[in-house]
Amino acid sequence: MKKLILATAAFAALSMGANAQETVRIATEGAYAPWNFLNDAGEPAGYEIDLANAICEEAGITCEIVINDWDSIIPNLLAGNYDVIMAGMSITDERLETIDFSDNYFPPDPSKFVANAGADLDFSDLSGARVGVQGATIQAAWAEENLGDDNTIVAFATADQAMADLAAGNLDTILADGAYLQPVVDASNGAIEFVGEEVMIGNGVGAGIRKGDAELLETWNTSLAALKADGTVDALIAQWFDGAGPFFTE
Amino acid sequence: MEVILNEILRFAPAALFNIYFAAASIPIGFGLAILFAFGKGSKNPLISAVSRGYIYAFRGSPLFIQLFMFYSLALSMNISTWKPMGIDWLVLHPLFLGPLVLVLNTTAYTAEIFYGALRAVPHGELEAARAYGMGPWQQFRSVTWPHMIRLAWPAYTNEVVFLFHATAIVYFALPVIGEQKDLMIRAKEAFERDFNAYLHFPIAALYFLAVSLVVFFVFGRIYERLVRHLERAPKIRFSPKWLR
Amino acid sequence: MLDLLPEWMRDGLGDDAAFWIGYLTNGKHLAWYASFQFTIFAALIGGALALVFGLVGASLKNARFLPLRAVGDFYSAIVRGVPDVLFFLFFPLAFEQTVEWFVSSRVCTPDSIAASVAPWPPCPQANWFLGTTEYLLLASVSLGLVYGAFATNVIHGAMRAVPQGQLEAARAYGFSAAQVRWRFQIRQMWVYALPGLSNVWLLLVKATSLLSLLQIADIVLWADRLGAPNFLPAVGLVHPDWRWRYYLALLVFYILVTWLSEKGFEALMRRAGRGVLAEVRR
Repeated sequence: MKKLILATAAFAALSMGANAQETVRIATEGAYAPWNFLNDAGEPAGYEIDLANAICEEAGITCEIVINDWDSIIPNLLAGNYDVIMAGMSITDERLETIDFSDNYFPPDPSKFVANAGADLDFSDLSGARVGVQGATIQAAWAEENLGDDNTIVAFATADQAMADLAAGNLDTILADGAYLQPVVDASNGAIEFVGEEVMIGNGVGAGIRKGDAELLETWNTSLAALKADGTVDALIAQWFDGAGPFFTE
Repeated sequence: MEVILNEILRFAPAALFNIYFAAASIPIGFGLAILFAFGKGSKNPLISAVSRGYIYAFRGSPLFIQLFMFYSLALSMNISTWKPMGIDWLVLHPLFLGPLVLVLNTTAYTAEIFYGALRAVPHGELEAARAYGMGPWQQFRSVTWPHMIRLAWPAYTNEVVFLFHATAIVYFALPVIGEQKDLMIRAKEAFERDFNAYLHFPIAALYFLAVSLVVFFVFGRIYERLVRHLERAPKIRFSPKWLR
Repeated sequence: MLDLLPEWMRDGLGDDAAFWIGYLTNGKHLAWYASFQFTIFAALIGGALALVFGLVGASLKNARFLPLRAVGDFYSAIVRGVPDVLFFLFFPLAFEQTVEWFVSSRVCTPDSIAASVAPWPPCPQANWFLGTTEYLLLASVSLGLVYGAFATNVIHGAMRAVPQGQLEAARAYGFSAAQVRWRFQIRQMWVYALPGLSNVWLLLVKATSLLSLLQIADIVLWADRLGAPNFLPAVGLVHPDWRWRYYLALLVFYILVTWLSEKGFEALMRRAGRGVLAEVRR
């Protein structure tokens, strides 16, 4: 027992030094293409993984990507199991109460509804519908508040699971990030289509960092600013989001 | 102290979900298990093989994966089957699908218990019943059933407690609808807000312990009735050889 | 993977079969196959620990000293009275917090505590990082603790089932109390304990399916990620929801493990039962 505690203390002392050799652990969900997903090789890939690597290269630090379920991704950041979240997480006032965010690396993006083609939904007064969301997202909170009284809100562990239920007809509609839904709609050959009105929630997507990790936040923002200025961020967005942008350069 | 009391009150509605899951699946599982126990002991090779295979498959695999698989399977049959029948809203609801999988699961475990008890029914008494000219149904009612239920009851009590414990993983595998959250989801959410592991999980555990004790008490009383004719009535115990 | 096959075999397979072999051996699937190691590791270490805790628990329950006996009874009663998944989640979290609390009492200063905004740990320096290895070890220990409580009961019962005459005879031959316990009681106990222990082992094996709840990328997590529908060619093969097929494969895996375990325990029973009264060998 004693040995274990000493070993831990040694580790804690090491991490206090915050030298350049130290590994920064970046958590992502790995189930939110094209933001972050597990590719056919079984490795994390996507816009945020490319961006994370670019940031780490720019800042000259060693990085490691870890996969963590979405619903516990903030608690495990707070618990210190990794240092940064890059998982398509929107910057919101509520989240800012518990964690800090870097500058956004994806501009504010409207949330949208999708439904199976031909679905008859009256969005001016939606009632009796089964609305799918990913649990613990801004869309889940919004749907619970604005649609929760007259509709059934079904929360899923991943966005892909919600998609499976929509495709199988177990949901009437899904509310999710537009940038997540767009490629799905494009690839569905008209089977899935956008419906209703867009909802503006959140202030863009940023990297979540523990409060008090000012040094790391600074590193992230500096590197991000450099990558935005030289066009790397826009190039990555265009690559992963089918030519969208540019957002951060003229 | 007040914190603990508040926490207990806050978790009370969540406990109802676990109790509902268990209460909805135990009676149905009990009935089906009798059928499968007789099926396993049947002389018809087909019935026997099917019952054996069913019991083995469900006892040999984790409930957690059974829940995942049946949800996904039900989902894939939604458009072709449930929708035309107009029961899709029911089949995929966790409050239906959860107990359904629990029924399938507990039926297998209970059937194995009953099968063991069936084999221990004294042969001489059955022969005597036949000699008295009793039909199969009368034999079952007056000889097989009383023996089987008395022999199986302690093990069945354990199974009921285990099934109640198993309800804890239902919502880890199925989607959560609105505020329908059970003890485990509540405890996990509360922990992820304030990291007080020593408060939330033990309170949830308290509910499980309390219900387990109630089950032991009630089932113990029933057992006393079942064995009241015996001179040296055996006591019910949470005993190792009756493990699931 | 397919490239490793000689050409005539590749030609003989046909396009369809070659495609499926290629798909089932891509990196994502290989990662899934590799993740079985976590499940197997947790089962083996958890099982070994359960046996150790079971022996300790049973010894405590047999102790002459009342407080020790109470600890044994408390352990086996409380741990079995709550769901395994609850204890499985609680133990690693509680253990981590306890360690961090100890560390914080050494490394935290009032200033660093005041500066910390996170609800836990008290100060950032006291944080203990848990990766897959640590979680896996903690998960194995909690499996060991939970099923050790069941094993305690099994072993306790089995130790009492050893015929008293045997132990008396050993004592009469002048063996010490410790010798009687280790060379006679525990050595003979196995034949009575094995059926119960086999049951505990099967329960433990099934509980290893819960590893993903502790953020270990185990077989269940990979089955979900592999089976989840994919709409984007950039991500990989476009396919609808295939999850139940992957879960079915896991189901078959667990049934096979159960079957193998039963065969293994039968063989053990035959060995342990040699030279012991016929009625206990059933």
